[in-house]
Amino acid sequence: MAAKLEIEPGSSNAYHTGEWRTQQPVYQNKWPPCSQICPASEDIQAWLALASAEQWQAAWHKLTERNPFPATMGRICYHACESACNRKHLDSAVNIHAMERYLGDMAIAQGWRHRSFCDDAQPERVAIVGAGPAGLSCAFQLARHGYSVTIFDDQAEAGGTLHSAIPDYRLPKSVLANEIDAILALGIELRLNSRIGEAVSESDLLDQYDAVFLAIGTQQPRLNPYNNGAEKARSNHSVMSGLEFLHRLNRGEELEIPRQVAVVGGGNTAMDVARCVRRLGAEVTVICAQDPHGTHHHELGTEMPASLTEVVEAEAEGVQLIYRAGVHRLVRSGDHLSGIEIAHVDRVHDRHGNFNPILFDGTEEFVAAELVIFAIGQESDWRGLEVLQKTTEADGVWVGGDAVSKSKLAAAAVGSGYRAAMSMMARLKGDAVIPDEHKKRKITYREMQLHYYAKQPRLEGEMNPERLDGFKEVVKGLVDDDSARHEAKRCLSCGVCFECDNCWHFCPDAAVIKIAGGYRIDYDYCKGCGICAEECPCGHIDMGNVS
Amino acid sequence: MDKRDPFRHNVLTSGHRACSGCGEAMAARMVSDLIGPDAIYINATGCLQVFTTHNQQSAWQAPWIHSVFANAAAVASGIEAALRISGKETPVVVQAGDGGTFDIGLQCLSGMIERGHDILFVCYDNEAYMNTGVQRSSSTPHAVRTSTSPPGRLSQGKHQLKKDVISIMAAHHMPYAATATVAYFPDLKAKVEKAMGIKGPRFLQVLSPCPLGWVHDSALSVTVSRLAVETGLFPLVELEHGELTGVMRLAEQRPVDEYLRPQGRFKHLFNSKNGAIELRHLQALADARIRRYGLLDAETEWDTDRAMQSERHGRGGYCERRSHGS
Repeated sequence: MAAKLEIEPGSSNAYHTGEWRTQQPVYQNKWPPCSQICPASEDIQAWLALASAEQWQAAWHKLTERNPFPATMGRICYHACESACNRKHLDSAVNIHAMERYLGDMAIAQGWRHRSFCDDAQPERVAIVGAGPAGLSCAFQLARHGYSVTIFDDQAEAGGTLHSAIPDYRLPKSVLANEIDAILALGIELRLNSRIGEAVSESDLLDQYDAVFLAIGTQQPRLNPYNNGAEKARSNHSVMSGLEFLHRLNRGEELEIPRQVAVVGGGNTAMDVARCVRRLGAEVTVICAQDPHGTHHHELGTEMPASLTEVVEAEAEGVQLIYRAGVHRLVRSGDHLSGIEIAHVDRVHDRHGNFNPILFDGTEEFVAAELVIFAIGQESDWRGLEVLQKTTEADGVWVGGDAVSKSKLAAAAVGSGYRAAMSMMARLKGDAVIPDEHKKRKITYREMQLHYYAKQPRLEGEMNPERLDGFKEVVKGLVDDDSARHEAKRCLSCGVCFECDNCWHFCPDAAVIKIAGGYRIDYDYCKGCGICAEECPCGHIDMGNVS
Repeated sequence: MDKRDPFRHNVLTSGHRACSGCGEAMAARMVSDLIGPDAIYINATGCLQVFTTHNQQSAWQAPWIHSVFANAAAVASGIEAALRISGKETPVVVQAGDGGTFDIGLQCLSGMIERGHDILFVCYDNEAYMNTGVQRSSSTPHAVRTSTSPPGRLSQGKHQLKKDVISIMAAHHMPYAATATVAYFPDLKAKVEKAMGIKGPRFLQVLSPCPLGWVHDSALSVTVSRLAVETGLFPLVELEHGELTGVMRLAEQRPVDEYLRPQGRFKHLFNSKNGAIELRHLQALADARIRRYGLLDAETEWDTDRAMQSERHGRGGYCERRSHGS
């Protein structure tokens, strides 16, 4: 018989130190600021993580869950995501738009196809009015879920504003066409040259379809103040709207542009117009009612609305900008326009928030111009849609895109198409609208440990040196997979675990267990010291009350 | 046996009675998991021994023996000699606190090195006698408040300086002596692995913050140990046969204030005129150590920034993935 000790040793595992705990760590995914601000709610962190592992196609699929236009948006979106990027507190923001474009271009080059979610066709039919980014985004989501979708558009080409108003130097037409083709390949019917009220009546639309999405955009230029009476009759060749100018240019019309042109407006359309005019060989002056960027700290309506990169690129191309100025009158000799008289703008918006500038007497200046282009905003054209305009979601009609958007950003249109599709599908299935799983707690750089990240330079797409020679694309993409991987790896993965092992290494109590694909906390032993939360680089761990 | 974690042995498993946020428990778990369960661990009296073997419950999942305060190195020497005679190559590891190393265990340690035993001696340095109530040791840094060096009208904490034990060890011309800390796991891992690959006596001093004795928030143990290195107060160095063979370069030297402020044991320095002198003294000590080891301009493989960097899927752990249920 083996000798037995009077006291047999046991394992300390029998003692649950978790009872000491007064607070406890919880793994909690956060919503990074890039995605928070993205009008299309892309899960940017997720697709960058896949790209950093060179899973390019998986990254593209993840990206296109929310936005089927990566090559397009990577070029034209004003990437609010990058201004929000927490990495700017370490070195500089991740070049998200270049990554998006890289994946989009790769998808076009490789001919990747979108995936369908279900093989069974749904019985319901949906009509979409407008083949712009909102309409196509909505159609894309519905078609992937098996709904039969018909898009009506009164233009000869799909793409809406992306096609008609974005100049080629920012977005080559072939890129847009490829992405639209990939969407339509899901089995979407597209009926071009089909204006509602002409090709198909409003009542037919309501009768034949189970749901209607109105994404008519803003195709009607806001009238310039000189569009009346005698002035209207003689202003044909000397006054134009920005939208008309861009439409005609994009249709391939040969426009005769005089030597000196004035563009009125401070938005992105004004910048597009001015840069196109420069490419046609004329001198151009932009008259902008607001102050330049950086003069006010995000005080609403005081800085020009155009994106800063657009302004910087326009100035680099020789566009003259005059700030805080409004048009006092058009100066003519006979029918010939010799220029415009501008004056200092005191107040831009009235107390109701409407654009209503006050011009100060005695500050007038003369700007020589033989053509003045007003790019002062645009509105929806509801002609022929009077019945539908009065309907609501209860009648099975949804409205989205620029027609109801404040920002008028293409990405916002894509996002609104997504939301409309989700809401429609919930309604058609009789469910409550599924809450957006993306709406999690936001995370700021203060909750992160930036010293755990290495400083890495941001890679940029090169600028085309012959940019003013015609309408060639100005910015080139990232050069190769190596630079794309480098840029994707710069993502801090804010609030989303990237399995760095810090919590696992640092737990003094072996209460963090590493498992395949992550970690779990053994609350039997966790003493709640808070080291894991303190040392988590990305702020994934919260300290909460003991449950 | 605790087999919860498929990626780690947990040689020092859960359920031990260390205070919340204990730097020594963290360091001992890291070191023993890097060495593995197939070793004999000798533990001098101290916090580690007390909190891991409480009420007949052991947190060690490896052969472990407790010696008295003074003789851990001597006990290990005997075990190593017996293993050598019986032809076994089981690694022998001594674990001791700063009391069992700098003060009470110093002569046995010196003898162990002088006789050339094949033993790794790990000192978890938390800079005072913590489990008996925070009394000063010869490892306690200058100007620290402990229960036996209270600041007051005539005193700004401990009068003397921290004993430079790594130089004493190096003066034995021993094969390997190094300093490390918990904040830089990749560095600690490299040093333990290097030490385990060398035959003969080896010494590792691991700075292990103590939230109780250093009087800082339990969540800050890693942050504080990182700042000890980044300020230059605790240089990470490697000495082989008495020669300096490696240092961790500081990517950026931080002022000692950043290290001292989170710790209550230095609080008295921040609201008195005499305290201000000691703050300058501590800064000068940090500057002197940086100059002595060339911490700002040494040519090294990595610096404090690169040694910290987090990477997706980690930078390597303890061992290959274990099969479940083995």
